[in-house]
Amino acid sequence: MASDSNFQPTLRLHPLSWVFGLSTAIKQMVLPLIALLFFNVRDDTPGPFGPWIVPAIVAFVAIRAVWVQLTFRYGFSPTGLVVREGMIFLNTRYIEYARIENIDTERRLLHRLLGVAEVRVQTSTGGKPEALISVLDLAAVQDMRERVFSEGKPAEQAVAAPAEDTLLHLDIGELVRHGLIDNRGMILVAAAFGVLHEAGVFVINEELFDRLLRSSSAAGVAALGLVVQIGLGILTILGALIAVRILSVILAIVTFYDFRLTRLAGDLRARYGLFTRVALTLRTRRIQAVHQNESLLHRWFKRVSLNVDLAGDSGVGEGNGDNSRSKTRWLAPVCPADAAPALIAAALPMLDLNAEPDWQPLAPGARGRIFRKALLWSVVIVTAPAIWYLNAGAIVIVLGCIPLAWMHAHLYVKNTRWALARDAVLFRSGWLNRRLSIVPRNRVQTLSIEATPFDRRSRMASIYVDTAGASAMTAGIRIRYLGADVAERLAAALYGTAGAAR
Amino acid sequence: MAPLQLSHVDSAIIGVWRWQAAIATLIVAAPAFALSPSIPLLWPLAPTLIVLGGGFLTWWWPTLAYRHLRFGVDETGIAIERGVIWRSRVALPRVRIQHTDVSQGPLERRYGIGTLKMYTAGSRHTMIELPGLRHEDALALRDALLAEGAGSGV
Repeated sequence: MASDSNFQPTLRLHPLSWVFGLSTAIKQMVLPLIALLFFNVRDDTPGPFGPWIVPAIVAFVAIRAVWVQLTFRYGFSPTGLVVREGMIFLNTRYIEYARIENIDTERRLLHRLLGVAEVRVQTSTGGKPEALISVLDLAAVQDMRERVFSEGKPAEQAVAAPAEDTLLHLDIGELVRHGLIDNRGMILVAAAFGVLHEAGVFVINEELFDRLLRSSSAAGVAALGLVVQIGLGILTILGALIAVRILSVILAIVTFYDFRLTRLAGDLRARYGLFTRVALTLRTRRIQAVHQNESLLHRWFKRVSLNVDLAGDSGVGEGNGDNSRSKTRWLAPVCPADAAPALIAAALPMLDLNAEPDWQPLAPGARGRIFRKALLWSVVIVTAPAIWYLNAGAIVIVLGCIPLAWMHAHLYVKNTRWALARDAVLFRSGWLNRRLSIVPRNRVQTLSIEATPFDRRSRMASIYVDTAGASAMTAGIRIRYLGADVAERLAAALYGTAGAAR
Repeated sequence: MAPLQLSHVDSAIIGVWRWQAAIATLIVAAPAFALSPSIPLLWPLAPTLIVLGGGFLTWWWPTLAYRHLRFGVDETGIAIERGVIWRSRVALPRVRIQHTDVSQGPLERRYGIGTLKMYTAGSRHTMIELPGLRHEDALALRDALLAEGAGSGV
């Protein structure tokens, strides 16, 4: 590294980088700017600089963006990537090739029109990317990928560029299915409702309401028979549901258009997007866990979705316009159920997943406990509204909870299994929404055994297997309702192998 | 994890916890005594409950918590058992420790103890705390855990 100390990076950003610097900066302060513009126009006593304040700020930001572009340099030293920013406050960052894990690119519409990409260089350190290089042209990105990944692995340098084989490609038909299953449009509609509500659209204007009720169309509806009215209501609801599904399909196509998962020299790459083109490298040795999700709709279409936890993803992003952290790392947003095992094997190449794992059930008393718990909660939630609306009829509803709770407990216990393989721990759970998580044993971070007072009374415990690279809610494996001794043994076995891992 | 020998931490931690609970009780009780006479339904009940609850948390709870806080170290790593009602035992292999802190608050300094904090690359248990070690023991344990644990952590 001593030879690197006087290495001077010479490569520059793309000449149009300042455009993106400017647009990011403006995007971040668009709300204050609008407010400022608005108040300055409306107010009789404008602030300092009067109406010129907004253009002045924009000009300042533009000058800063140009300055950043002019002073930014990067280069490939013999052992690492060097990034130098600034001229007065000089900041030189040195990232060893061997530590660079991912070079991801993101290209929004403007990037694609200009043939450039935003580059994120990520190392194993969690949190934000080690270097965010905005923007480079595509040839420079390709050059960076080749230099970084060939220097980091000298053994593979001699090998000619290996062929990239496609593991999964989603055509429009699959994306339509994904949209139908995923129903993300619902979230969008809910968000839109929220915004409209905040904006005061739903404040009932009595005069308007009155006029609507007296209008001829309202009278027409009132004149219709009850059956037709109900029919109209159902049609409206159906129409809304279909509209939301169509929205979801469009969203799925826009997000995942031309989704392609490829394998290059053992590492996986995912590329997708219609307007915003995303290219992600999923290095297999960074993959901490694979999750397979299968909802009721997935099963109707004979599809599953697969995502992975990647090391270094868990940290909370610190602004910087970087929202890549909140995204799910898809192995396949949707894929045929029979293609899933091959994809999982590609993501976890060190595991031997051919043999059917030795699936173990939960503790014998688990069904009874889940039944009692589900029954108690449903009765607590249902009773008050049922009495309010139905008076004496409430007894039917409350009694109806018993078979439903029993069915839930029975199906949950029947579908929930765990297995300890030689090199992995597997857990599948749920009956309506089935989930399968696979954690390689050498990826286990910590183990904890937890016992509530109820657990202790029935000699049970839950085990939580923590892994890196996910949010606290979705990470790892949490198996509840295990026998206390079983949980102890499982934890001891996993602790031993995790401690031996490197 | 069964063969791991578990032991208690230093009993001085009980004093720290008692002081902490006493201070917290005072902070809650002062406004309760000042304000509740003017509210008819609250007057005798709320301050009484606060004093009883605070007294329990100050006098009995620390000894209970101490009795259930145990830890053990073996060549693989460290295990920490805690919780009076909700019990948990976390096992952390030493190769998974990213870095460690030994911290000491003013009360802990008064009693000569420290808290060992171990950070992992995990998602939920990113920081695992072991309170109540004598400060020099905490430093020694930290060094012992780090001595062989120069793994990559992921």
